Amino acid sequence: MSTFVESRFEELKRYVRLSPDDARLLTDFRALAAPHFERITQEFYERIREHEDAHAVFTGEAQIARLQRSLVRWMDRLLSGTYDEAYFEETANIGRVHVKVGLPQRYMFTAMALIRVALTRIADDEARERAPAIREALTRLIDLELAIMLESYRENIVSRLRRKDELENQALTRSLARSARYVNAVELARVVIVGVDSAGTIRLFNREAEHVSGFERDEVLGTPFAATLLPEEMLEAHGTRVADVAAGRTKTYEIADGLIRTRAHNVRNVHWHLAFAPGDGDDIVLFAMGKDTTDERRVMERARQHERLAAVGTLAAGLAHEIRNPLNGAQLHILFLERSLKRDKADPELLEAVDVVGDEIKRLARLVTEFLDFARPRPLQLTGVSMHELGKRVTQLLALEASQSNVTLVIDLPLQDIVVMGDRSKLEQVMLNVLQNAIEASKATNGAVTLRIRRKPRHVAIDVEDSGPGIGALDAPIYDAFYSTKPNGTGLGLSIVHRIVTDHHGSIDVESVPGRTCFRITLPIEAPEAQSGRMKAAEAAGRPTEES
Amino acid sequence: MVMDAPTPPRPLVLLVDDDVRTAQTLARMLREDGYDVDFAADGAAAIGRLTRDPMPDVLVTDMTMPLADGLAVTRYARSRRPNLPVFMITGNPVLVTRAPENITPAFVVLTKPLDYEIFLEQLRAL
Ligand code: HEM
Repeated sequence: MSTFVESRFEELKRYVRLSPDDARLLTDFRALAAPHFERITQEFYERIREHEDAHAVFTGEAQIARLQRSLVRWMDRLLSGTYDEAYFEETANIGRVHVKVGLPQRYMFTAMALIRVALTRIADDEARERAPAIREALTRLIDLELAIMLESYRENIVSRLRRKDELENQALTRSLARSARYVNAVELARVVIVGVDSAGTIRLFNREAEHVSGFERDEVLGTPFAATLLPEEMLEAHGTRVADVAAGRTKTYEIADGLIRTRAHNVRNVHWHLAFAPGDGDDIVLFAMGKDTTDERRVMERARQHERLAAVGTLAAGLAHEIRNPLNGAQLHILFLERSLKRDKADPELLEAVDVVGDEIKRLARLVTEFLDFARPRPLQLTGVSMHELGKRVTQLLALEASQSNVTLVIDLPLQDIVVMGDRSKLEQVMLNVLQNAIEASKATNGAVTLRIRRKPRHVAIDVEDSGPGIGALDAPIYDAFYSTKPNGTGLGLSIVHRIVTDHHGSIDVESVPGRTCFRITLPIEAPEAQSGRMKAAEAAGRPTEES
Repeated sequence: MVMDAPTPPRPLVLLVDDDVRTAQTLARMLREDGYDVDFAADGAAAIGRLTRDPMPDVLVTDMTMPLADGLAVTRYARSRRPNLPVFMITGNPVLVTRAPENITPAFVVLTKPLDYEIFLEQLRAL
């Protein structure tokens, strides 16, 4: 393979006429451009976030952070001035990485356009009379870079076509007696169907399987079923039973809370049904049939939460109002008592006792108010909410509290503002609440709390990360009303957050290990109304049928 | 304070609340803070008091009471003195904002438990 790239590269280099003069110009230019690398990188990744198919290849924020460093290094390398075999061999490797992660080829062009524009603009602004020559050199080099990276896509297509031919030949020579009717049925089924042979190798992979996993058929046929499609945790729990079915020791096996691994290194929930079914027409001995339950589970979870809230709401709201009457009497009398004690120069200990009662009454009053907020929420008042403004405002509001707790509050906003249709004061309440929890959690360790806001193709992700001890059990009912681990907590903060976020058709998730807890709130950028309207329209039209 | 009668030395507050013990403590503190206070223990008694002079300078009323609620008392008081300042104290402010008619000028809604210091400030600002 490398000799192939080698000769190809020499030829391409000659074609664009990348000369030693160009190399010198570009090395000089590096000094001007380097201070901008960081910013270009940030723009680069923000742009990707706006596009679903490009964004889909990402596996998480940690990877993005790693990639940002890779890209800075790549720009540095681009302007290094040495364009030899080793250089272009590495370029080809970078291309292969992108093929491997499944980045559609078209985004290589669009992404490169951003870099090209950014660099030429720097040349125009800062390189004066040398700008035209630098621009030409950049064009030659960048197009050469692209041409070589894109070779990898061609290599990939060629090898896939070859494998496909092989597989089809195998099928023909064994004259699989599958009638076209059944093939069609398997294809059209809205069920994941994977056929596995006695060696555990995938032999059949239907369209729904492609749809759910994101893999294309020819990528997975011939690969081991378990390693390709089943995540570790599922193998641990069910691996031996799966092997039992494949060996015919068990006829069927069901995994209601199963998983499938996707091409983008994520997992989705799948209700699996495995059946031992050897036939005489082919090698398949096991059919793994599955239904994608990821969205269903999410909707069910949300509905359950709403139901619980509605049930407590009506009854308890009435009670909460009633509690305010005795509280009113208690508060006035305690104030009266305090005044009289002060006037009579009473024992400070008496005054302190009165103070405590006063504080407790205030706390009860706060509990009632929070509870009513939660049980009887006011309807959303939607406006365009700027994430920049909101982020800055809440961090300002909490600056004092953070510094008093010796917690460093970090705000990490995207370069370009994101405007979400939502209820400003409620979203503010959400952020304040989650941030306050994070600050409190980090207090003991003098830690740091980060508010990070990022664009996703159709959502905004608001992450609140803290360095506290973490949430003990991740399945603790932290969003349930009155669940609290804090000595002074009302147990309503996160319930209210959950309520507001789901009212915005968003979601909230938490990841937690000791020393790092991250709450992620995801909100749709479109208005909740518009969204549910669109969802209904899509339901009415049925799921889009794929072309055949 | 805007008044059409000669200014009395101490402003007169009409306090209406069916929680008699609490109201009396509140009245006592208001007196200490420079106000005269008349008291009525339900809505009907308050309306009865409002038929007689002297008219109060301020009405401070509970919302939910037997016989006539705070809104009824307010309406009657305003029929006698259109610009009378009114403070409505309630455990359920939503109920008050859903009042059937717009009452102008608007009254001040205070949520229970009453924060006396803030209330006093508002009273002094009249
Ligand atoms: C001109 C365009 C691009 C350049 C120069 C570039 C550069 C790089 C470099 C230098 C690496 C590291 C390769 C290695 O580990 O050896 C990389 C990896 C990667 N790039 Fe790009 N990239 C480009 C476009 C994109 C786009 C548009 C996406 C879209 C999401 C993307 C996603 C990734 C991913 C997912 C990885 C690998 C990840 C990993 O290590 O987990 N790249 N890229």
